[in-house]
Amino acid sequence: MSILSFKNVGKVFSKNGEELVAIHDFDLEVDEGEFVCILGPSGCGKTTLLRMVAGLESISQGSIELNGKAITGPGSDRGMVFQDFGLFPWRNVMKNVEFGLEVKNIPTAKRVEIAQRYVELVGLKGFERSHPKELSGGMKQRVGIARALANDPAVLLMDEPFGALDAQTRNQMQTELLRIWKETKKTVLFVTHSVDEAVFLADRIVVMTARPGSIKDLWDIDLPRPRDRASSKFIALRKEILDELEVQKTGT
Amino acid sequence: MNRSEEEKTFKDKLRREGVKIALTAISLISFIAVWWLLSIYLNGQNLRYLPAPDVVFSAFIVSLSGDPVTGLPLLSHILASLNRFVWGFAIALIVAVPIGLLMGSSKYARYLGMPVTETLRPIPPLALAGFFFAAFGVLYGPIVTVLYGVFFPVLYNVMFGVRSVDPILMDAARTQGASKLQMFTKVILPFTIPYLMTGISIGMGVGWMVIVAAEWIAAPGGGVGALINQCYSVGIYDYMFVGIIAIAILGILTTSVSRLLEDKVAQRMGMK
Repeated sequence: MSILSFKNVGKVFSKNGEELVAIHDFDLEVDEGEFVCILGPSGCGKTTLLRMVAGLESISQGSIELNGKAITGPGSDRGMVFQDFGLFPWRNVMKNVEFGLEVKNIPTAKRVEIAQRYVELVGLKGFERSHPKELSGGMKQRVGIARALANDPAVLLMDEPFGALDAQTRNQMQTELLRIWKETKKTVLFVTHSVDEAVFLADRIVVMTARPGSIKDLWDIDLPRPRDRASSKFIALRKEILDELEVQKTGT
Repeated sequence: MNRSEEEKTFKDKLRREGVKIALTAISLISFIAVWWLLSIYLNGQNLRYLPAPDVVFSAFIVSLSGDPVTGLPLLSHILASLNRFVWGFAIALIVAVPIGLLMGSSKYARYLGMPVTETLRPIPPLALAGFFFAAFGVLYGPIVTVLYGVFFPVLYNVMFGVRSVDPILMDAARTQGASKLQMFTKVILPFTIPYLMTGISIGMGVGWMVIVAAEWIAAPGGGVGALINQCYSVGIYDYMFVGIIAIAILGILTTSVSRLLEDKVAQRMGMK
């Protein structure tokens, strides 16, 4: 069942009277519960695309529909996780996770109960009263994920969420994310420029062209989970997709 | 960490603290010594404008119950100055914070406000003191002068705070479903508080300088600035120094309180 559909989506930025086409003719159907990675060279508009789904960026052409309803602005039915975390520094872990519930005027007791559940889901039990400053990068992003999930969104939008983390933490967080995804059964739209990350995580990989960004190729990744990075299938697949990306960089 | 290591770090800490205390003491003692020697020398030359510390100290004791020049006890001078300071400061906050928030949030408010604030800001409060006294009278003139001095640091820091709000925090709030009003109360306001505290700190320093000088012009009901001025004009220098020292102590007290507050707030807001 398709939950999120992109129909001829385009994005045009105008700057000083000049028009810059960032995204062109993007068509995609995302199924409920699917984990989709959007992969592409930097500047291909993949982050812009995600921000359009989040409602943070206007849609210049076509439409994006969530559960059949066109997206016109931001809303808590889409949870967003940012590369630079975007945590409120004056709020502790619990209060960060509670933010969206607070905004919806959910009573305190209910709010605390929900937030506590997600804090525990992302493995931060014991850190409820810590402030972001006191947390490592990986832990900060756990808070980011819990905050996005606490609103029980229809889709989870992740904008290079592990891009600011070191390699080891990054791998650890990928495994954690898959566990959380399995437990919550959320639809995930995950933007990355790491082929390795995409092959490790995704059900399906969308490879984008350079600007103006559109879909170059779709890959169904049917490797069984947990995926082994050292397996020959994984390595072969990674190389194939990497080659495809390389081709468009050099333009040959 | 084992016991002997613990002892070692404790000793290290003690030594560092000891050195700090010793140097502070040396600094203050040499300051008083230089003052003392200088006053002995000047008095030997028959110049009376720098009384020795012990003379100032006895004048201080006398002034607690009323100095010979104004007849008022030192405490009532201090309270009179403090009263003007607090009023000027409070009104400045009440006016400057909303305007700062508005000018920080809206570029049209900035276009409208900046030409005026940029013109007025470089004018030292004391250059306008005469005008304020003429316009508001001797009772409110000093308060308005303080208000003017405190207004700009608070306004500019609040405005700067609003403009410094990390856009990603705004994005995060929007994706969490926050309304415009909620983004203001839950993101912009808390983000701006540490900046406001900095404005308050700076404003406090400015406020003290301004109040003493404003009281030179006129200060019905006394004031430390008035005490200093009147003692100066009749040439009673030991009591003049009592006033100067009172101001120094009050200044140190208020700045340390505001710094402490600034730190505590920053800590509470998770900024430090």
